[in-house]
Amino acid sequence: MSGRLRSLRTAGLLAALAAVMTGPTGDADHPLAGIRGSLAFPRVLFFAAAALVLWAALLGRDRLRAQARTLRGTALGRLAGPAGAGAGNGNGNGNGAGAATRPGATWLSGRRGAVLGHAALLAVALAVPPVLPTAAQQALVSEIGIYALLALGLNVVVGYAGLLDLGYIAFFAIGAYTTAYLTSADAMPWHAPWQLNPFFVLPIALLVAAVAGVVLGGPTLRLRGDYLAIVTLGFGEIVQLLANNADGVTGGPRGVFGLPPLSVELPGVRYSWGLDPLPYYYLLIALIVLVMVVFGRWERSRTGRAWTAIRQDEVAAEATGVATMRMKLLAFAVGASVSGFAGVVVATKQFFNPQSFGLQASLLVLTIVIFGGMGSRLGVVLGALVLQGTAFLLRDTVPPADRFIYFGAVVVLMMIFRPEGLLPPRAHRPRGSGPSRDRSVESVESVDSDGAAGTSRGVADQASPGVVS
Amino acid sequence: MGSAEQISQLAVDGLMVGALYAVIALGYTLVYGVLQLINFAHSEVFMLGAFGGLFACRALVPGDGATPAGLAAAGLVLVGLVAGAAAGGAAAYTLERCAYRPLRRRGAPRLAYLISAIGASLFAFNLAGKEFGRQSVPVPDLFANRTVVTVLGAEISTQSLVIAATALLMLLAVDHLVADTRLGLSIRAVAQDAECAGLMGVDVQRVIVVTFVLGGLLAGAGGFLYAMTFNASYTMGFVPGIKAFTAAVLGGIGNVRGAVLGGLLLGLVESFGGYLFDASYKNVIAFTVLVGVLLVRPSGLLGTRLGRPA
Amino acid sequence: MTATPRPLRTRPARTVALRPMAALVAGFALVGAALTACGGDSDDGGKKEYLIGFQGPLSGDSQQLGINAYNGVLTAVEQLNGDKSLPFTLRIVASDDQGLPEQGPTAAQKLIDNPKLMAVVGPVFSGPTKSSEPLYSQAGLLSVSPSATNPALTDLGFTSFYRVIAPDTVQGAAAAEFLAKVVKAKRVYSLDDRSEYGTGLSGAIERGLEQADVPFTHDGINPTKDYTSQATKIMADGADAVYYSGYYPEYALLTKALRGKGYDGAILSGDGSNDDQFIRQAGTANAEGALITCPCSDANTDPSAAAFVAEYKKVNSGLKPGTYSGEAYDATNAIASVLRKLGTDANRESVRTAFGSVDMPGVTKRIKFERNGDVQGSTVYVYQVKDGQRTVLGPVSSLIKP
Repeated sequence: MSGRLRSLRTAGLLAALAAVMTGPTGDADHPLAGIRGSLAFPRVLFFAAAALVLWAALLGRDRLRAQARTLRGTALGRLAGPAGAGAGNGNGNGNGAGAATRPGATWLSGRRGAVLGHAALLAVALAVPPVLPTAAQQALVSEIGIYALLALGLNVVVGYAGLLDLGYIAFFAIGAYTTAYLTSADAMPWHAPWQLNPFFVLPIALLVAAVAGVVLGGPTLRLRGDYLAIVTLGFGEIVQLLANNADGVTGGPRGVFGLPPLSVELPGVRYSWGLDPLPYYYLLIALIVLVMVVFGRWERSRTGRAWTAIRQDEVAAEATGVATMRMKLLAFAVGASVSGFAGVVVATKQFFNPQSFGLQASLLVLTIVIFGGMGSRLGVVLGALVLQGTAFLLRDTVPPADRFIYFGAVVVLMMIFRPEGLLPPRAHRPRGSGPSRDRSVESVESVDSDGAAGTSRGVADQASPGVVS
Repeated sequence: MGSAEQISQLAVDGLMVGALYAVIALGYTLVYGVLQLINFAHSEVFMLGAFGGLFACRALVPGDGATPAGLAAAGLVLVGLVAGAAAGGAAAYTLERCAYRPLRRRGAPRLAYLISAIGASLFAFNLAGKEFGRQSVPVPDLFANRTVVTVLGAEISTQSLVIAATALLMLLAVDHLVADTRLGLSIRAVAQDAECAGLMGVDVQRVIVVTFVLGGLLAGAGGFLYAMTFNASYTMGFVPGIKAFTAAVLGGIGNVRGAVLGGLLLGLVESFGGYLFDASYKNVIAFTVLVGVLLVRPSGLLGTRLGRPA
Repeated sequence: MTATPRPLRTRPARTVALRPMAALVAGFALVGAALTACGGDSDDGGKKEYLIGFQGPLSGDSQQLGINAYNGVLTAVEQLNGDKSLPFTLRIVASDDQGLPEQGPTAAQKLIDNPKLMAVVGPVFSGPTKSSEPLYSQAGLLSVSPSATNPALTDLGFTSFYRVIAPDTVQGAAAAEFLAKVVKAKRVYSLDDRSEYGTGLSGAIERGLEQADVPFTHDGINPTKDYTSQATKIMADGADAVYYSGYYPEYALLTKALRGKGYDGAILSGDGSNDDQFIRQAGTANAEGALITCPCSDANTDPSAAAFVAEYKKVNSGLKPGTYSGEAYDATNAIASVLRKLGTDANRESVRTAFGSVDMPGVTKRIKFERNGDVQGSTVYVYQVKDGQRTVLGPVSSLIKP
């Protein structure tokens, strides 16, 4: 099939999909009614026109691309290797991976530029929310801020150390229940003999979550790759089920209601967080900035480099004297500790029950991390903002029952067009245009059925050790 | 523990569900073997297969009412299986084509596939909910719901018998296909070393597609079998998907016989676990067993090699 | 769903730097959605428009229950808008909470932020109710839940919370009495789905059974598809009655599994299973004889509610009312009755204060409230599947007479 026809087919299929997504619903007795209705007479014209527009756009893009390729061909001539073309291809417009490493490509490339950029972002983050509607502020707290914090924590485990954790939300649960245990005498059947101000619980929850990380990590971190993933998934399920089943301890499915709000009681200063979302938002911003700064230092420290070494090649790291087990445990503990913070904020802000801590929530946090740019602190925060923000905006734009059809489509499209996330960390971007040796970033398989090479470009070193044994 | 009859009854219950887990687990394991990729959207392939079989069946049995006679029932099961497998295969093909291949072409990082799969899964099951309604839908009764065989005191209904036998047949067929055919050889070759297999003349792209479709056929047929007892609904994929994934890991992911063993074992653990303890701890027990097994055997019961038990 | 609520307030979205193709696709999708949304927008001009909020699970695993309730609200609103004597028209604004507590505050705030909105039907689930009500109370916005049955909800100090469904305690006590005196069970297997609703109901039933000196076994099982080994366990227990506290999709599968194993005791469930879908999903033969208790009179069989059923079918393209549809319809009509009294200058405060004295006949029960927001004196009815039809046996109080 020629390229043009292929583009037409793609455009047609996408338009048909859009028609079905926005079309009427069917039911089990009329399974085709929805599809038939979606492609019924007046509608179908609109979508056919859309397909044609899309086709034209695709063709135009192909032409632009061809031009860009010729241009780039001369520019990259001095950099040998076929992988360069592959990497450039992956980034389409070529400003992702390549540009950032080109000297002087952007004004933000310097250290001072980065600081300025971050300051500007922070200023926006501080200034904008008060003018938003309260519902958006609520979403900024309970859907975006909390998840940004969680994503920052999971980023340590997945992004830095390269360990796939599918039960991360369990630590969040542990943080929330620790708060309930320590701050209230009647919210949960089981409670501490004395009650603390939630602020003092912040460090305690951090510690408890970190200890939980070590307890989980200790026996399981010997497992590799996807075996670790399923064990962490199991851990997440177990924590949720225990919380739901232990009525006498956690209150079970009734959940935890009526924890005292966060409050500051210093001589002269007296403040209590109430129902208004904004104060929580600023608290979360403070926590997020704190975590980002601390992790930034960590990232550049010996520990950070050890994590990078483990992520890229665990065996080599061990051979060069990295205490891999200890470092992996540390990553688990550090990652978990942050979700303790998130647990305190959520628990004191509103009612929660074990339903909040399901596998779906773990997958959502993981999605945010990858969506934002695994290994990049700013990236994952941005990921939380964009992804959860999309979910929030979809509330008003599409029928609620169809919300997650669109959400899923956004995630897939994002992974297709920017597989390394919104804002991949600089360290992950390939130097020059050589292939990345980074295990977690490396492709699963780079077979290109109709690319220029036409043959398998092979699987570099496989991430999962078992299969090739 | 109860009497001997109860023990064998629980074993039969567990094995029947376990056989279904095994059928789904094969899809995970085959794809994992070839691509080292957890295909999280496999559960939706299973769900779409169930609907495919269900609608084909309902088109032939218009009204609720009398159960069809023996031969007609067998024919309907066959129709449902074929339609389910076809729907599953088509869904798996589409999934590979739309959610994975573009990523592969762009050399995406490993985890991007996982996230793409999660996105595709959300998309698929919510769209199925929109098109097929959000109520559970029963497959027309093909067999009277009554006991026919008694084995060691355990009572087995025709339906369970049909489900177990079909699942077993499919498992044997796949095992044969992977172990003894040319196609199986190329699947194993790609699993061991895709680059090398490509150099030796194996069409890697084709093998990947075939593996996905094969997994989809199985999951689709399995979905129909599952729906015969447990009804079909747009959310039906998630839990069996996770269970089957667990089963695949338990047996040694990437290992065909491991997936079968893992599935059956998981079914048994759930059945007995739910009996001995409060049933709400069923999953706690299942996952505890999984962790225990993995601590002793870090690559699952039978190791990770595709098609060849260690 | 036939009507899509119009956006409350649209702000410029943060545009994601998607590539042109993705942006185009998204654009088409949104335009298409907008086209659908603009479908039925005919308004007889001049009348004042009040907005009524709806909060419930409209996406996620529990969305069917949310949709049932939403369709009930929709039916009432369509019917009221057809009434020319009303000085106002109503429009629904739906807000999805997925049935999850953490989604509650945002969903509630969405409705609170809309100044034209006078009252809310919902939240549908108890969990989001607990996380949303503090906000409704603070905003002074009336919320009437069609379905949140957790007994504690009316004791938590929420000042604008009402519900048109009886708490679990009422149904639990009646169900226990029915089990003891009518079914004359010697041993009851009380199984719940480990949800807040299920554990609340099973707890209430078990307290009732204890008082009636009926021995029972308690067990819980999270919603699943496979109840075969659970059925084996129940058979081994020797109980001659099973009460499942949970929703109809699981009750159907449990019934199917039990009958498949040849269980011949009584099988019962509560209001969460009071839906014709139960019969369909369990299979007519399996469902035969199954019992359901519900603190509601049945809209499908009660002649006085026939008008509701007809209207519901008309509005919702032939669908029959499901679990909580009737309650949502009643809640909406109760709100409308207050608005009718207040005329065209109602505000949130006046609606909220006037709502406590509502007294009107509903399709599920008489709608009249206690001071704490609970609906008064609910009668618990028993239903039985006979010849593939859900039929009313009568109120528990009259059934227990010798």
